[in-house]
Amino acid sequence: MPKETLYLKLERKVQVQQDEVYLKDLGKFTCRDDKILNRIRAMKILTFQPEKDGGRRVVSVLHLIRLLTEEYPGLDIQNIGETEVVVERVCTPRYKNARQVFKICFVCAICFFGAAFTIMTFHNDISIIKVFDRIYELVAGQKPEGATVLEISYSIGLAVGIIVFFNHIGGRRITRDPTPIEVEMRMYEDQVNNALAETSDREGKTLEVN
Amino acid sequence: MGRQIFLGILGVSAGVLVSAGVFTVLLSVGLVPRFAGKTHTGRHIFLYEEMIVLGTLAGDFLSIFVREKSAGLQEMARLGPVVRAAAPTALSLFGLFAGIFVGCLALAIAEMLDSIPILTRRIGFRHGLGLMVLAVALGKLAGSLLYFIFGIYQTVL
Repeated sequence: MPKETLYLKLERKVQVQQDEVYLKDLGKFTCRDDKILNRIRAMKILTFQPEKDGGRRVVSVLHLIRLLTEEYPGLDIQNIGETEVVVERVCTPRYKNARQVFKICFVCAICFFGAAFTIMTFHNDISIIKVFDRIYELVAGQKPEGATVLEISYSIGLAVGIIVFFNHIGGRRITRDPTPIEVEMRMYEDQVNNALAETSDREGKTLEVN
Repeated sequence: MGRQIFLGILGVSAGVLVSAGVFTVLLSVGLVPRFAGKTHTGRHIFLYEEMIVLGTLAGDFLSIFVREKSAGLQEMARLGPVVRAAAPTALSLFGLFAGIFVGCLALAIAEMLDSIPILTRRIGFRHGLGLMVLAVALGKLAGSLLYFIFGIYQTVL
């Protein structure tokens, strides 16, 4: 019988809804032998103990390889994914709506007032009114009275610039690209997960071979 | 007429470039992802972006059309009691949220420059990072209060 090869591709981070974590929760697997594949997918890896582990564990691929080779000594294992996977136990929150809405409103308020404040202080910093007055005088040859075309067009330009930059208006995308904040969000998530895996490793809490 | 059109083109170009510049700075420090991550509301990022757009436009109108403000103020003064009753609440809300934003922005910029990791490595301490952050926060609070109470802002007027 030829040696079977199991390919596993671990995720960087997974979230589980129940206390028992099975191998199939941790990533994707492929093997020519469907019987082995189904058996190993149902292997139990760890059980969460909410009071002890704080609902988050990091599992090293070496731990999985040891478990697998104990069960199938002749199995050849190839990991093509991450070497550690962050497992998070998430509870489906009961009081989701009110609290969620409150948080969303809070962040919205920070973004709205913060952005308003930032642009006002920026305009103040660069003395934009003086600059506009001078430019208007240079071009039109007289002192401005009331709002000038320069100020109105500047505001339009500012709006166009932000909308093009953020790539959406009124909840609809202009092109299919992800928006800059979505890109930033993914990068931030990656960094957080890397930091979690590293910290757990340093504190010796990773589920690892000794 | 030609001059007005020229001024219009000038204004639009200035606006587009300013928004690109200002928002690159705001975004590269990654504030909004952090807010969304902390509150676990990553799905509503679109909404947060829209709020940034609306907030910027509101601030723009308030700080650009200053010559028009006298009319608006007279209008508000006519409403009198209502405005006076609502003003403290509105102002404290604005101040609070703008303060949170600026505070996060200031520390996020410091962090982007790796100042905290470098400092902790140089002076070689392992514990007390939380205390250090608290000290920075208290220092900012003290500085901000001093600035307004003792009129340090007069140095730039």
